[in-house]
Amino acid sequence: MKQSRALKVAFKGLGKNKLRTFLMMIGIVIGITALTLIVSAGMGAQNRIMERVKKFGLDSMMVFAGGGREMGQPTSGLPAPSLKLEDAVALKREIRAVADVAPFNRKGQAEVKFQEKSVTTSVFGVTPSWAPVWDWDAAEGDFISEEDLTSLARICIIGPTVQKELFGTAEAIGETIRIGNVQFEIKGIMQAKGTSPGGGDMDNRIYIPLSTLLRRVMNVDHISGVKIRFKTAKDMSKTAADIKALLRERHQLASGVPDDFTVTTPTEVTNMAKKVAGTFNIFLALIAAISLITGGVVVANIMLISVNERRKEIGLRKAVGAKRKDIMLQFLYEATAVTLTGGVIGIVLGAIGAKILETVTQMPTAISWEIVALGIVFSSLVGVVAGLQPAKRAASLQPIEAMRA
Amino acid sequence: MNGNVIQAANVTKVYNKGGGGEVYAVHDVSLEIGKSEYVAIMGASGSGKSTLMNILGCLDKPTSGSLKLDGVEVSTLNDEELATIRNRKIGFVFQSFNLLARTNALENVELPLIYSDRSDITRLAREALVSVGLADRLHHNPGELSGGQQQRVAIARALVTDPEIIFADEPTGNLDSKSSLEIMTLFQQLNEKGRTIVLVTHEADIAAYAHRIIKIADGKIISDERNPEPRVAEPEINTLVAQEAAHETK
Repeated sequence: MKQSRALKVAFKGLGKNKLRTFLMMIGIVIGITALTLIVSAGMGAQNRIMERVKKFGLDSMMVFAGGGREMGQPTSGLPAPSLKLEDAVALKREIRAVADVAPFNRKGQAEVKFQEKSVTTSVFGVTPSWAPVWDWDAAEGDFISEEDLTSLARICIIGPTVQKELFGTAEAIGETIRIGNVQFEIKGIMQAKGTSPGGGDMDNRIYIPLSTLLRRVMNVDHISGVKIRFKTAKDMSKTAADIKALLRERHQLASGVPDDFTVTTPTEVTNMAKKVAGTFNIFLALIAAISLITGGVVVANIMLISVNERRKEIGLRKAVGAKRKDIMLQFLYEATAVTLTGGVIGIVLGAIGAKILETVTQMPTAISWEIVALGIVFSSLVGVVAGLQPAKRAASLQPIEAMRA
Repeated sequence: MNGNVIQAANVTKVYNKGGGGEVYAVHDVSLEIGKSEYVAIMGASGSGKSTLMNILGCLDKPTSGSLKLDGVEVSTLNDEELATIRNRKIGFVFQSFNLLARTNALENVELPLIYSDRSDITRLAREALVSVGLADRLHHNPGELSGGQQQRVAIARALVTDPEIIFADEPTGNLDSKSSLEIMTLFQQLNEKGRTIVLVTHEADIAAYAHRIIKIADGKIISDERNPEPRVAEPEINTLVAQEAAHETK
């Protein structure tokens, strides 16, 4: 029999009993929808991590104050005060691969006032190197200069969100705002960066000279972190080891004492995030696989019943000349047509679900041809496996036995 | 090459009963049926006539003996080869029509053709339906057709592959007398055009339409005679219609 005819026979067979076809299909639809949704969410998460790392810079590294192993805040409510501005200077001076460093400290939840209006924002104390190291400069006016730093100048650069909330469309540069009890003159407006992958507004910030923040606002002498930019992205792990050694020496940590700082490289961030996402995805994919298997069992079960119900039809087909192979293919095609159609519906529903998920939870998702291929391959595979036994049984029926039924 | 379409020699079909007993459904039957013959195989239920038809029609295999169809020995063929023989050389008409439900007349008649290598299947199916007088019922499902019409669809399905032999197993068993006469008329017309027909029945008045009557009992042929005066179905329809009309006016 011609393949096109065999397919036609299978699809007609399905059309004749729509309820049966629907019941067979529903499990596959659920399974493939779940699979599509999970894989697209997983890929979305992975894409987000990669984007984040790329934005951060593959040739960069972060050093944070405080040991990495102890989760949560120290009892003082502040990071370990051991990381100093001098450490950052020493890193630039003594590690040859370092191109530049951007040390910073940060006062979160600071109240900022302009005339009667006030906003709550983060105040970052930074050095002029912040701009080249983060590729993030003032859009209007000027960024912090070396002179501002040495003179403990009371100037600030505000983020676009702060500008909008305090000034609206009015000119902000040259105006004076109050951070706590200290007055600052606005020197510039930062470039907009939008929402951070973590959901925070990166434009709701105020930048002031690091020296001003430490002495005039917070009255401390330590920093919360340094972003280090290297001349090249090569040999990052070796450089990371050099940095650790230098900091341990400067902090006079005896061997055995844990680090009082944390070094984070882009590869580390990527791997860690991938590992967490991977475990999570395997778990969810397992659930999708179980629902697919259940769907397959349902298909196999209903197909077996269908073969029994249609003994007369099978007998007749054989009586008029159908061969084993023809009957086998008819039932195999029927099963595969059901699961494949279910799979395609599942892919579409999964893609729609992913879009809804993205809109509602801001969780990024991604639909790619790989996901579509995965859904099609899995659903047809389930059909072939589930249809094989019923098809074999149908094909082995003798024409007269079947006709008698 | 002689003129015999069917040559059966010492055909036996034995079923094993539980407890070692054996039942001879067909016992040492030899017969020859020539081209264009119209033969009735007659016998009571359980006589083995249907088993014999199934063997002659390649639906079942004999336990022993030889069977030649159109000169080809078929008793040694495997299932796949038998399927091809059934497809090309044989047409079946069954008592319960055996049409596919929810499938229109045209598609039912196409069924044997989809298992052949013919490509003009819709045209052939339409022609077969026209030849049995169902030109206006091509797209009706079996549920929308009378018993007689359903059996005519089944006959069209048996004819569509242009087979050597048509086997009909109690073709009028589920039909009223008028429909039965119509079906018998159709068989007679087919036979007049040269088609070999083997009719299996337990009714003597149905067998009486055939030109030769083979009687079976206990799996054996007990008589094989030419029918000197076969009944002719077509004029009987007119008589029947006239009788019914007379009955209604009373």
